[in-house]
Amino acid sequence: MVFNSLAFFLFLAILFSLYWFAFKKSVKAQNILILIASYFFYGCWDWRFLSLILLSTIVDYFVGIQIYKTENKILRKRWLWVSVLFNVGLLGFFKYYNFFVDSWTDLASALGYTIKSTWTLSVILPVGISFYTFQTMSYSFDIYYKRLEPTRNFLSFATFVSFFPQLVAGPIERASNLLPQIINKRIFKDKQIIEGMKLMLWGLFKKIAIADALAPMVDDIFTNYASYPASTLVLGICFFSFQIYCDFSGYSDIAIGTAKLFGVELMTNFKFPYFSRNIGEFWRRWHVSLSSWFRDYIYIPLGGSRVSKLKGIRNVFVIFLVSGFWHGANWTFIIWGAFHALAFIPVFLMGDHTKYKNTIIAQTTLLPNLKEIGKVLLTFSFVSFSWIFFRSDSMTDAILFIRQLFDNFSFEIYKNPLGYRMEDYFILLLIFIVYEYLIRKTPRSPFNFNNKVLRFVSYTAVILGILLFYDDGIDRSFIYFQF
Amino acid sequence: MKRIILKTGLYTVLILLCLEGIIRIFHLTKDYPKRYVDKFGVEKWVPNQNGYSVTGIRRQNFSEYHINNFGFNSYREFKPSYNTQEIALVGDSFIEGFHQNYYNSIGRKIENRLKDVQVFEFGYAGYDLADQLHLINAYNKMFEKIDYVYILLNFTDDLSRGTYEIKKERLKLESPLYKTLRKSKLIVYLYDIGSFSAVNSLLNQLTSFYKKVPAESKQKSQPKENETYEKRLDNFNSLVDLYGFDKKRYKFLLDTEKSPKKFLNYLNQNKFHYLDFGLMMDQSKKRTTLVYDMHWNDHGRDLIAGLIVNDFTNTLRNK
Repeated sequence: MVFNSLAFFLFLAILFSLYWFAFKKSVKAQNILILIASYFFYGCWDWRFLSLILLSTIVDYFVGIQIYKTENKILRKRWLWVSVLFNVGLLGFFKYYNFFVDSWTDLASALGYTIKSTWTLSVILPVGISFYTFQTMSYSFDIYYKRLEPTRNFLSFATFVSFFPQLVAGPIERASNLLPQIINKRIFKDKQIIEGMKLMLWGLFKKIAIADALAPMVDDIFTNYASYPASTLVLGICFFSFQIYCDFSGYSDIAIGTAKLFGVELMTNFKFPYFSRNIGEFWRRWHVSLSSWFRDYIYIPLGGSRVSKLKGIRNVFVIFLVSGFWHGANWTFIIWGAFHALAFIPVFLMGDHTKYKNTIIAQTTLLPNLKEIGKVLLTFSFVSFSWIFFRSDSMTDAILFIRQLFDNFSFEIYKNPLGYRMEDYFILLLIFIVYEYLIRKTPRSPFNFNNKVLRFVSYTAVILGILLFYDDGIDRSFIYFQF
Repeated sequence: MKRIILKTGLYTVLILLCLEGIIRIFHLTKDYPKRYVDKFGVEKWVPNQNGYSVTGIRRQNFSEYHINNFGFNSYREFKPSYNTQEIALVGDSFIEGFHQNYYNSIGRKIENRLKDVQVFEFGYAGYDLADQLHLINAYNKMFEKIDYVYILLNFTDDLSRGTYEIKKERLKLESPLYKTLRKSKLIVYLYDIGSFSAVNSLLNQLTSFYKKVPAESKQKSQPKENETYEKRLDNFNSLVDLYGFDKKRYKFLLDTEKSPKKFLNYLNQNKFHYLDFGLMMDQSKKRTTLVYDMHWNDHGRDLIAGLIVNDFTNTLRNK
């Protein structure tokens, strides 16, 4: 069941009615309902993997209590390792096992040894495993670092782990934010519900009207890159930049909006990352829940930036490589991570990685100045170039794509073989960029206009956009589900 | 709670009204002509209707249609006589041509190349060989005056039945419910872009949840390729026997790439004439079909017209 399906909206309507009408008086009943609904939601993909969520829940629930029970540092660390090994073990087996086996045999054959590998397994990657394992691990980490007390309410904890809006593709929530909201009584607030619906609408627009609409062009260009000139490849890269952004941030908006319908506030996951002025700012705005996870649980424990420059560089490399590896068991993701690390290091050495921590482009003015525009374009170009590794099926494809980009340096107007009228998409993207610029200071309020008429026009325009760019014949799944 | 429900309801109604208005103003969806069954039991369009047809989202293809006095989309009225030369094109939506301006149809293209020849286009979406031969048989007197008849035939789609019967599913579209729904352009638009397929798939999901059809029975219900071929050939013979086929004047227009060789051999052996357009379409350097829709575009129609013109002139020369 995906967010952009009719089945989901039917499910949501039934759940919403039961939640606020039938179970309104009891938090426990509401939590039981959410837990059952979340397991049903996940079970629609593959019910067999519900056992993994349940196991992860049980392990971290008990580990949390055990860590809290003792003041003995060694024991606390041992219990933390139980959580880490269990969750990373799950990930390792389901997501990375075949990658390690294949890489090992490739390395051996490169060194002249022939290994006939029979070790690879046909393992299905459980949807969302990278997200919920990180979420449960953060709970154990927070207790270990004494930022949080463990809950003794197993039902609430299980609901926290499996909360369906963010179960399969984030935002990766922290227990300190989500758990208290699940334990305490939720109140029906008109404003929160309306904000939720608005966010869902905006997310659906990004997913259906942009990400899904651009997908056929991106697929064509990345599949047939060898037959296209550089201008078309650049177009393909730019389209993919918007496709992946709108796909993932659209998902996050729908997730945050859905949670609001149940009186729960999730963390913001995207803050207009393509308006970033350097790579440091980009990572404060892109997939915030993951980058802050790595910052809090890997980068800072390693010493963060409060160590020698050399160790600081090491720490930067570690989080970017791990981040790349988190995305998928493929060298393309690791190179993508390394590429970002290389771009981040100069910014880090100049101390500019936190420069734009609390501001956004044209913070106090209507329009950005030329310097800001230049910085944004440079950052966007770099990020977009790095997406080549992310989008390519293999390193060979990525390298050949880049070679074609520089070898066949010519311009040609792109005509999609399926006949899609390209002008429509250019206009769509232009309007989208201008609109995002207008709302850049309010990532959680995409229709934040005081004028009622303007607000109404925005709703209508967004729905019209969905209808105009709805493409019945394409795969509607979210890109980040594969991670 | 009440406030939010009222507010959401009000906004929804207002937005739907706005969308209805926008779709009408920009003509984002097609008009539906009315259909009926005439006194001979032939299903066709109610005569003398005009409108616009839209193919693909965002008005990717926009065209005008005109249903003539006889009930088919054509700029020409069908008045054949023994003193003039006429060609009839009989077929489905490809001949009907709602995806082209009615004054730029295949028939018109043929007439532009052949002086003093009138082309009558008997095209109707969904027509199969039973519809086509029944039509010719029902209007036998009219077709007797027509010099040559080209019948569009798709072996896979057009030979599923051996006798003609009125297709009730198509006529359901003229029921009061459908007529009322079609008054809303927004509903028509949503239907055209395929958004109702999501509703269908949801309904299927829900029903299959309760009634699990075993995979084995599904496999059994699929006939073998050879059986299907024989069945289609039987239907072909049955239709030819029932409604007649003048081998001197009638020819099939078909894609040999998509027709079984056995069937082509059968046609040759039994002296049924046919023209192949498949190879010509495949070899064309320019696209021959529309976007979002596999009907012929202007270039595709040019090629078909050229094929018929060549055949017609060759036939006259050899006569």
